[in-house]
Amino acid sequence: MSGRPRARRTEPELVSRPSDEPRTPPAEPTPPRPVVKRPFLLDLIPLESEKDTRLSRFYARLREGRLSTTRCPKDSLLLWPPRTACPRCHTEELEWTDLPETGRIYAFSAVLAAAPLGLEDDVPFAVGLVDLEGVPLRIFGRIDGKPWTSLRIGERVRAVTYDVGDGRVFYRFRAESEPERGP
Amino acid sequence: MTARNVAIVGGATVRFGIRAATWSELAQEVGVALFRAVPELRSEDVDSLFLGAAEPERFAFQSHVAPLVAEQMGLRPTRILQRTELACASGQSAIRSAYAAIASGLSEIAVAVGVEKMNLPSMAEANSAMGCVMDRAWDGPHGATAPPFFAMVAQRHMLEYGTTEEQLAAVSEKNHRFANTNPHAQFYEKTFGRDKLLRLPLVAPPLRLGDCSSMTDGAAAVVLAAEEHVRRYTGSPAWIRGTGQYSDFHNLANAGSLTDWVGLKHAAREALKQAKIGVDDLDLAEVHDCFTISEIVEYEALGLCPEGQGGRFAADARGDLGGDLVVNPRGGLLGCGHPLGATGIGQAVEVFQQFGRAVPAARQVPDPEWALVHNLSGSANVHSVMIYQAGGPP
Repeated sequence: MSGRPRARRTEPELVSRPSDEPRTPPAEPTPPRPVVKRPFLLDLIPLESEKDTRLSRFYARLREGRLSTTRCPKDSLLLWPPRTACPRCHTEELEWTDLPETGRIYAFSAVLAAAPLGLEDDVPFAVGLVDLEGVPLRIFGRIDGKPWTSLRIGERVRAVTYDVGDGRVFYRFRAESEPERGP
Repeated sequence: MTARNVAIVGGATVRFGIRAATWSELAQEVGVALFRAVPELRSEDVDSLFLGAAEPERFAFQSHVAPLVAEQMGLRPTRILQRTELACASGQSAIRSAYAAIASGLSEIAVAVGVEKMNLPSMAEANSAMGCVMDRAWDGPHGATAPPFFAMVAQRHMLEYGTTEEQLAAVSEKNHRFANTNPHAQFYEKTFGRDKLLRLPLVAPPLRLGDCSSMTDGAAAVVLAAEEHVRRYTGSPAWIRGTGQYSDFHNLANAGSLTDWVGLKHAAREALKQAKIGVDDLDLAEVHDCFTISEIVEYEALGLCPEGQGGRFAADARGDLGGDLVVNPRGGLLGCGHPLGATGIGQAVEVFQQFGRAVPAARQVPDPEWALVHNLSGSANVHSVMIYQAGGPP
């Protein structure tokens, strides 16, 4: 081995525009890698740190309560899930954009049996496809806040951040517990 | 279309179910069954082996499975040895790859085998494995597995077209009734009347236990041969006349309509075009009834009935013996169980045996000439279709 120190190789970061800078509070550095207690291949929650993924900004924003994704500025293609390359024009120059916090249920069901590892104790729980308001995205997610028996198609839900419990965060939807009222 | 004609000339399956057998024991068992079913087959004639196996890394903690199976079956391929993985369509992928190898002249005689071991001491682990067929990082953490996804398809179909639970049960009742004629089926000895089906517990509403195929251990194998070798093995080959595939999304966000399976329309159109037939020419179809709602949407996407009329098609028994065509006479995934890699091969074995009048009379399709086999995989995001023609010269 030669004695010359090597420059540390880092993955290129996705472009972040000034308008995309965090609102409040100022961004904290991404927390270090959590100790994943479940064998990695049986743990469904992604790794989130800068050491593990080029999408760590997604999770950093999620910690601020912001659901976001990547957008291709060239052809204004809103991409879900967040990506590191545009599948249409193959640029890697993607930008981050916040997504609406609310959406409406397009379809839903509930897991009453046969839950994956780590979710067995949560049964029964509701899941559904949610049309985010104002953007052409219909994303899948768990729906909390109400028993599945009282959910309805078209019902308004809100994206919320939750702690996984080992330093990681993820998102899910929460149904409004009270019926919506007019102004 | 193809350089030369290819046919399935023999096949066998093991008993599907919750088996007291390991992954590699199932592979050995299907090897024995195949060589018994095709007595003219000599190991040294098989130049290629294609293994359909969806998740041996997770279900059996074993990789590099194609040479393992070659060893267990006593085969020493000299042309192509490979595993094919396309989740629930891994078995059909093995057949399609063998077909391509033979049609191109690379292979003369190939074996396509499917093996899956899904019942584990911890079914939560097995369910996690099933979840990984979906987008593990983005849909998986929410609990996305097949039942809630297909439940949403059913919910939308009910909303958009008025499909009923009774119509779903009609599919399950038919396929379980056919399974009662099939000793290799997981539910060979269990009867499911419609009243019973409608009282079974909900798994993912509106789908009940009887609307869902099972976690199943099983294996199946077929022999494929180039046209010049076919007569050595059988007088009633199943000629491959067309194949089609289509993949249009992976993450559930990109699914578009849940009830309009565009991918199946594309795949079926391509396969039927290659075979130069229309859907009305089909005598039987082995379609992917992983859930009752799947078979209903498949009736529509295949063009057997208008959009939204799949429920009525089921209730009117138009996919039953005496109907327009016979759908899933083997017992389907609902009746036979669904060992992922073995399913597509088990369906092909049924077609071969139907063409050879080798199934019990209670499910024999009268004078079958044309058969379609369909597998979907994942969240119905990929569709794979093959067309077979009975007997006769190449």
